[in-house]
Amino acid sequence: MSAPLIKVDDLSITYASEEGPLQALRHATLEARAGEAIGIVGESGCGKSTLASAMINLLARNARVTSGGVVFGGRDILSASDEEKRRLRGRHIAMIFQDPMTSFNPVLTIGEQLVDFQDQREGLSKSEKRQQAAAMLKRVGISDPVRCLDRFVHELSGGMRQRAAIAAALLMTPDVLVADEPTTALDVTMEAQIIHLLRELRRDYNGAIIIVTHHLGVVGELCDRVYVMYAGEVVEEGSTDDVYHSPRHPYTQALIACDPANLHDQTPVLPTIPGRLPDLVKPPAGCSFAARCARATEHCRSVAPAHVMVGPRHFARCHEALS
Amino acid sequence: MSALYDVDNVSLDLAGPASGLQRLLPGTAPRLTILSNLSLSIAPGEMLGLVGESGSGKSTLARAMMGLVGITGGRLSFEGRPVKSRPDFVKVRQGTALMFQDAVASLSPRRKVSAQIVEPFEINGVSLPEGAKTAVTMLERVGLAPALAQRFPHELSGGQARRVSVARALALNPRLVIADEPTAGLDVSVQAEILNLMSGLRRDLGLSFLIITHNLAVVRHVTDRVAVLYLGRMAEWGPTRQVFARPLHPYTRSLIAAEPQADPRKRRADLALKGEIPSVLARPSGCEFHTRCPLARPRCAAEEPQPLMITPDRMVRCHFAEDTRTETQGGNHGTDLEH
Repeated sequence: MSAPLIKVDDLSITYASEEGPLQALRHATLEARAGEAIGIVGESGCGKSTLASAMINLLARNARVTSGGVVFGGRDILSASDEEKRRLRGRHIAMIFQDPMTSFNPVLTIGEQLVDFQDQREGLSKSEKRQQAAAMLKRVGISDPVRCLDRFVHELSGGMRQRAAIAAALLMTPDVLVADEPTTALDVTMEAQIIHLLRELRRDYNGAIIIVTHHLGVVGELCDRVYVMYAGEVVEEGSTDDVYHSPRHPYTQALIACDPANLHDQTPVLPTIPGRLPDLVKPPAGCSFAARCARATEHCRSVAPAHVMVGPRHFARCHEALS
Repeated sequence: MSALYDVDNVSLDLAGPASGLQRLLPGTAPRLTILSNLSLSIAPGEMLGLVGESGSGKSTLARAMMGLVGITGGRLSFEGRPVKSRPDFVKVRQGTALMFQDAVASLSPRRKVSAQIVEPFEINGVSLPEGAKTAVTMLERVGLAPALAQRFPHELSGGQARRVSVARALALNPRLVIADEPTAGLDVSVQAEILNLMSGLRRDLGLSFLIITHNLAVVRHVTDRVAVLYLGRMAEWGPTRQVFARPLHPYTRSLIAAEPQADPRKRRADLALKGEIPSVLARPSGCEFHTRCPLARPRCAAEEPQPLMITPDRMVRCHFAEDTRTETQGGNHGTDLEH
């Protein structure tokens, strides 16, 4: 098996808040290899966006790394200088954001921006860069790329915008592509087309793709491996097939159960996950899901569970995972 | 059964972009069809789903039903009385509540929750049924803690803001709630909570709901009937179970097939629907879906399909609906058709 392209190692991040440091990410570990597509799923507040921002080095100002790091190219990129971080972003690690409307500058044409994004590419004239941009727009399925170059972002439809944003991210053939909720802003038909496109791009792209989403369907369609997050921790990881078909953490089980897409018969009352996320300023001493877990014991409430191996490359952070 | 809200053959068109000469000669300017010959009715206590892609006219229809945009053809009636003039719509709005798509944006950022949820009473000159306690009672009805009354909208989570908008919609004891994308942007478990809340209110208070969404999973589970809209026209409607078990319009079939599967063993190999919904500025001839339809034949571009009543409660507008029907009838779908 090839070595991981990018590795998040025991990463903990806190945000300064009025009540004290909020522990948004706690001892998260993750790796992605070349040619692999991995998914990070979880609900609002689980830390998935913090993890994504750490991987592309765009952490907010009030964020503080309290343990671990992100290893890319053999070194910790979180401690790199600003100049080095800038060189990594776009060139080696690129990101597709949730809202393509705000990921482009509204007063510059798409073409001007796609030329600017190639700033680090040496030895190419502006017109060659423009050709590169047009070729990439064509690659992501924009039928009239030359015309698209002269458009402003507001002149494109939602689906076109997201295609242009994917083209922008792939322009420098990055090693790692992070996509944060790439289809959330889209209709079901556009979502299917973007999923189709990402899957197609995977075939001729040898980097690692990391999809961050709350939508289990998107990960199910696209990813080889999945990391399930809850309250700042990775609670389960494994191949998408293992995690979806034999989830071992009660949170993963609950999450899959309450996705209406998984219910084939009409049900008058949909399953929910009772209770609330714990306060991350004072995270619970034991398992963070214990308060909402039907199987929780006194042991779960007082002792934090370790990562338990439940199968080949399949782990769950639960005391009961093997029972 | 008499309908609570009846939409009968409603059309809405707007003046299109006119050339210089057309502007000078009244009556020659092109008209853009936004909604065309839409009929649909909501029974008391019914949950009706309205689905379609962005640009299909779902929200416009809801706005027309509330009198927020004027219709140019057809009839609307609420509780058996025709709705035409402004005073008619004032009555409709007292008996109907609209939940807007963006729950946080539909609340004023500068006023506390307590002040905002009693606004419907103030606007309609109704005294507060329980005086100062009204806001708290309303919050309790949607499962929110009384302490939330003192919060500002930015202090609410997405799910809480959605519940506040449900509370506000219920203020004047409406008979009908129109919910525009009630679960957009919510986590799956919170989405289920909101849907359960709506189903519970319908059961306890006998409310009718019109749920506008592009999320088919939502429609499948909570609605009794579903109507599918494409470019301002009705493609198909019928009992939810039947439509999902055996969609008769190729557009409905494509929408169902486009849903991502939360199961890596059932990955979609091919794209169900290519391209985008056409612009109303360039409405395709004949059947407006023919440009993207996998079954399209020359007839589809030339001739507009007429509504076909398959059963008294099932309509489809497709030239080949009968063929589709006989084809799928041979399979093992018979059991899915039980009501």
